[in-house]
Amino acid sequence: MTHQTGRRVKRIDELAQSLPPPRDLWPAIAAAIEADRAGAPEQAAPRRTRWLPAVGMAAAVALVTFGVLIGRFMGPVTTGTVASTPATQGSPDLLPAALRDADYRKQRDVLLAEVEVQLAAMPAAEREKVAASLKTLRRSIGEIEAALGRDPANALLQELLVNSCQEEMRALTAVRDAGSQET
Amino acid sequence: MSESKHLNHAALLLIACALPLAAAAGEGSIERKVAAEANGEVVISNVSGTVDVRGWDRNEVQVTGHLGDDVERIDVETIGGRTVVKVVLPRGNSRDGDAEIEVSVPRNSSVEVSAVSADVSSRGVLGTQRLKTVSGELTADIAGDESEVRSVSGDVTVRGSGKPLRLRVASVSGSLDLTNTAGSLDMVTVSGDARVQMGDTSDVRGRTTSGDLEVRGTLTRNGRVDVEGVSGDITLRLSAKDGVSTEIESFSGDINGCLATNVERVSKYGPGKRLNIRTVEAGARVRAKTLSGDIEICDK
Repeated sequence: MTHQTGRRVKRIDELAQSLPPPRDLWPAIAAAIEADRAGAPEQAAPRRTRWLPAVGMAAAVALVTFGVLIGRFMGPVTTGTVASTPATQGSPDLLPAALRDADYRKQRDVLLAEVEVQLAAMPAAEREKVAASLKTLRRSIGEIEAALGRDPANALLQELLVNSCQEEMRALTAVRDAGSQET
Repeated sequence: MSESKHLNHAALLLIACALPLAAAAGEGSIERKVAAEANGEVVISNVSGTVDVRGWDRNEVQVTGHLGDDVERIDVETIGGRTVVKVVLPRGNSRDGDAEIEVSVPRNSSVEVSAVSADVSSRGVLGTQRLKTVSGELTADIAGDESEVRSVSGDVTVRGSGKPLRLRVASVSGSLDLTNTAGSLDMVTVSGDARVQMGDTSDVRGRTTSGDLEVRGTLTRNGRVDVEGVSGDITLRLSAKDGVSTEIESFSGDINGCLATNVERVSKYGPGKRLNIRTVEAGARVRAKTLSGDIEICDK
């Protein structure tokens, strides 16, 4: 024994192929299985009959409720939100962005209205230049969204879209605030 | 009766002589001077015309120039450490009325200029500068940390001092031309082109939508460059002592340049290219991405 524990194993095939348990466990296991077999039919039957119908009914009710909810929320919300928003009616390119976040859309609409006023007060050449830049931004957002439509999981496109939307808000804010620089 | 007739004539004569003087007072040359603190703040506003700011070694602010017909007056006053120079237009006329003014300020002042269509230039100021114009051109020598230059449609030209500083430059449709800057730069333009030449660069963030973007510089050991374009092309000529690691990707544009030797397709079936270079020794990182613009990267 002392010799065995002191021996160092250098290769994996030097390890013992099997280790016998210190005692025979099988008689106890076999006795336990027999005892289960003898008592199981009387105990299991009432349990099944008691719970199964209730669980089935609950699942059916849940399924119907879920279906009704889907039916109610899917249709009307999509058409109602888009159709009742005048700002998005004339710009189908922006519908996906508009649907993403109502707060974003609301803030953007307010900014757009203020920017229109500011643009109207600008000299013609300057107005054209700035309006063209804002149009470029909107077109870029549309292009990214179109690409995302074809490749929705593309992380690069998702990042570009978020940054472009932020950039549009920054540019709109800059144009709106241009009026406050007047003395 | 004849005496009163003479008096009337004299009064008419006086009025006739005073009219051109009054007109000249509104339109003519101006020269104002007020005492100011060496490290004070100077706030200048002018709608149309020009604003030229000059740093000098006196503790006073001097305003010289010409006021146009439609300018009501110019206010120049110092309260505490703050000097205000304001071109005032008549009520109801917020845009017409040229004033061409040159403002000399103590060299270490911080300067803030607001203009609408006026061109703005600045030279010799060492303090922080915040310059903004809507459609005027903007040309500035910048040496103060935390400076900011903004325009809507006007072109922007900035010359740095070579000393590291934090600088923000933004325009909507104007172009950006930045030279001899160093340190940290945050720049953004929508449709204007942006050209940047930097010395020791620790951090550059840039964004353009349709304009082209070019950055040349030497990155510090842990320098960062993070640029993004949509349809505009991006050109990067960046070197670093221990090399650079890159993370470059374009959805439908090309990636080329002397470092673009291992460009790979993002997907077997879809568009997209990327160039990831991982240099173990390199602390400097370059990240660039576009939708359809090309990206060129080189370290020479």
